[in-house]
Amino acid sequence: MKEPAKEFEKEQQPPFFKTWKGMYTFVLAFLATLILLFHLFTKIYE
Amino acid sequence: MSTLDLLVLFGTLAFIVIYGTYKTSGSKDIEGYLKGGNSMKWGAIGLSVMATQASAITFLSTPGQAYEDGMRFVQNYFGLPIALIIVSAVFIPIFYKLKVYTAYEYLENRFDVKTRFLGAFLFLVQRGLAAGVTIYAPAIILSKILGWNLNITILLVGLLVVIYTVSGGTKAVTLTQKYQMAIIMGGMVIAFFMVIDNFPDYISFNDAIRVAGKMGKLNAVDFKWDFSERYTFWSGITGGTFLALSYFGTDQSQVQRYLSGKSITESRMGLMFNALLKVPMQFFILFVGIMVFIFYQFHKPPVFFKQHELNAIYETDYANDVKKLDDRFNEVYESKKERVKVLVEAMNNGNGDAVQVAKDEVVTLENEAKSIRSEVKDILLKSDPEMETKDSDYVFITFVMSHLPKGIIGLLIAVIFSAAMSSTSAELNALGSTTTIDFYKRLIRKEGSDKHYVIASKWLTVMWGGLAVMFAFFATLAENLIELVNILGSIFYGTILGIFIVAFFFKYIRGHAVFISAIIVQAIVIYCYFFTDIAYLLFNVIGCALVVIIGFLIQLFMNKQPSSSAEGD
Repeated sequence: MKEPAKEFEKEQQPPFFKTWKGMYTFVLAFLATLILLFHLFTKIYE
Repeated sequence: MSTLDLLVLFGTLAFIVIYGTYKTSGSKDIEGYLKGGNSMKWGAIGLSVMATQASAITFLSTPGQAYEDGMRFVQNYFGLPIALIIVSAVFIPIFYKLKVYTAYEYLENRFDVKTRFLGAFLFLVQRGLAAGVTIYAPAIILSKILGWNLNITILLVGLLVVIYTVSGGTKAVTLTQKYQMAIIMGGMVIAFFMVIDNFPDYISFNDAIRVAGKMGKLNAVDFKWDFSERYTFWSGITGGTFLALSYFGTDQSQVQRYLSGKSITESRMGLMFNALLKVPMQFFILFVGIMVFIFYQFHKPPVFFKQHELNAIYETDYANDVKKLDDRFNEVYESKKERVKVLVEAMNNGNGDAVQVAKDEVVTLENEAKSIRSEVKDILLKSDPEMETKDSDYVFITFVMSHLPKGIIGLLIAVIFSAAMSSTSAELNALGSTTTIDFYKRLIRKEGSDKHYVIASKWLTVMWGGLAVMFAFFATLAENLIELVNILGSIFYGTILGIFIVAFFFKYIRGHAVFISAIIVQAIVIYCYFFTDIAYLLFNVIGCALVVIIGFLIQLFMNKQPSSSAEGD
């Protein structure tokens, strides 16, 4: 049987990621990718 | 509007109101009514947060903004994901731990009751006024375009929202927002494909993008370090983070959305949903505006998009002047249409020199068209100095009404109404909750039954609905009231955010210090508004920073006084 603290910790986990830090890094990386794509979009069609 | 459009419009609105009321009425306990029984999954929370932020004016203004100014407005949203991460990591765990109904309850826990009242009061003033504008702004545009009576349009939106918001509380707001977002996004996607479908045969989608790029409309990112530019990457990342942090972290109309989550994970995921999708969504809405711009390179646009005002000027002594300008505008449009065709051919043939020549000609003609539009606006101002000559809010709706088929027009008008209703319902819900929890329950009746507080909350929501409608009625008396409310928002937002920033990050500063600091700063900001030329958007930054700095100094001073150690917060 798992300890209650571990159960609670697991309940707090985001889907697809082990920790919230991982999720936040993913969101920031996604934002950076979007900005890069928008920048390329601006430059290509300028 | 045709009978089919009216059927689609009223059928959609009736479905939302009846379904929302039927599915969610009967909450007997206050947690069920104000927090949706903490039963919401992240998808519902995410859509609810998105729908609360996206008001009707977003869908009317944003495509028009792209039409006038290109894609650069999207940079304003670059700070939003960063702010949502901060709210998710710092704000949500604390709100959950304390099991608060409103964000301002936390202020009593961290500081004292007077700081809580101050935060809640500032929110009520600002959001109460804003709720009126959320109803008024689309109503004035729709009433002019559809020829409906303005007061009846205001009353229609206000009444429909009050019915389901009062009946089902937070659950009704979240449930209806899910369907409203589906209608809004479905409508915008259909509009996007309809614009492209209306391009002439010789223009492909790719040609349209290339022409828009050559005309300087695809300026999505600008890394220039220039403070005179309103939208740059830097202003978006800094100012955008700041504004989104105040809105998502301290505005009860948003806090209430994510506090209805089944668990802390569901609430956080709801915010991450927005952190991922909000920027692409804004990009898409702006891109619809760009496609409308390209559409109007091949279909003659009106010289001024507020047709009602343009028709009225033909009844005055200025009719001849406007007629001459309109004729010139037509000539420029015809020449530009031909040059755009040449530009497309040159691009498809890969002829670089010809592309450059055609591009220069198109840009020159576009500038000439803009200058004619400015001259028309000057004449309109001469005829009525009080007139609002900014017509970009009318670009998208003019396209919808003039060029889309029957049925789709009804759907797109339903999009505007849905957006107005979704943000208004969240605002009324939050205003009712804050008045009930932070004032009625805390000050007037501390020990009441759940049923009593549910009834009180319903009546207070009705009261705020009535006030919002009244304010929307009075808004007709002042054309610049929308700006006034934005100014009022900026005056108060900085102070509220400053209090919360101190609460979360400056444990050293305590209740008396932050309260005195907030009062002083509020007075300074009001003074700055009346007696300095500082741009009002900067009040957000100034207010927040000053609350922290002055609060710190007061605390430092108080700690040096022997008696201050007795402060029990």
